[in-house]
Amino acid sequence: MQLNRVGIALIAFFGLVGLGFVVVPVVVGADGQIVAILGLLGAIWVIVAGGLVLYARHQRRKAAHQDEVFRTGIRGTATVLEAGSNMTVNEMPMMNLRLELDIPGVGTRRTSRREVMPVFAANRMAPGLVLPAYFNGADPGDFVLVW
Amino acid sequence: MLDAGPLTPLLVESGGGRIAPAAHGPLGDGVDGTIGQLAYTRNKTFRFAVALTEIPASTAFAPRVFCVRSGRSTRDDEFYGFEARHSKLWTESLALNERYRIATSPFQDQNWLRQLFAPAFVHWLADAAPPGFSFELAYGALLCSTEDDDPDPAALADLAAATAHVATRIRRECEE
Repeated sequence: MQLNRVGIALIAFFGLVGLGFVVVPVVVGADGQIVAILGLLGAIWVIVAGGLVLYARHQRRKAAHQDEVFRTGIRGTATVLEAGSNMTVNEMPMMNLRLELDIPGVGTRRTSRREVMPVFAANRMAPGLVLPAYFNGADPGDFVLVW
Repeated sequence: MLDAGPLTPLLVESGGGRIAPAAHGPLGDGVDGTIGQLAYTRNKTFRFAVALTEIPASTAFAPRVFCVRSGRSTRDDEFYGFEARHSKLWTESLALNERYRIATSPFQDQNWLRQLFAPAFVHWLADAAPPGFSFELAYGALLCSTEDDDPDPAALADLAAATAHVATRIRRECEE
């Protein structure tokens, strides 16, 4: 799992355009007030790009951890007990799932999980649906839900 | 007419997943399902011949498997930009890779997927599936499709047989 093209495009857009706002007015010798306004705007955009880079790094670390749990964890199941959504992110429902985890050698436990899902996936999250899950052997509360 | 609902990406793309006209019955190999036509308009109108069947047991093994013809325009709405929602399935078959883009959701059992895409199935997909064929398996719903504006009975029969073939292959792998 890695930063995809959309993420790269967002970072490049905010970073390069922001940098342009800072540098170009100075290079072309624009009026001081214009340099200040565009410079401030550009700095904000560069800060946004920096924030996106930090977020991408966080997501990358999270994905690496999930990969580790997937590769080394215990395979079990997660049964959907309740599913609902009251908000969307990028037109995709943010699903609130109540799950019963069945972890071989450990037992069952109940937990909640929030996942942003495409419409066709969210539509199938109904009580009784059994999904594969991988559990961290050292901490069964740390799990990857395969959906 | 069948309002299948948003069961797979193509059905979501079409709006309500309305298959019309639609006929329900045996598709072949003991597989029942619905066959018909699906259309949606996004700048221009796209028309498909589709066949829909259910394989509930597949969800526990592979919630999502998409085998879509290379070059087919699909809506790329599953990305935040910072999180992959699909994993590409690696296969050794150049012919298969040239003809299709195969994707699954992340963290699916790769051994099961490799067994599903056994050489005979890969060969069938690459060389014997109908022209323009694709399939989407999502949470037990299997939607097979061809890009055919006005399919004749022979083309629909080919699609039905192809759908039965894919469904039987997935069912057998679920049972093993």
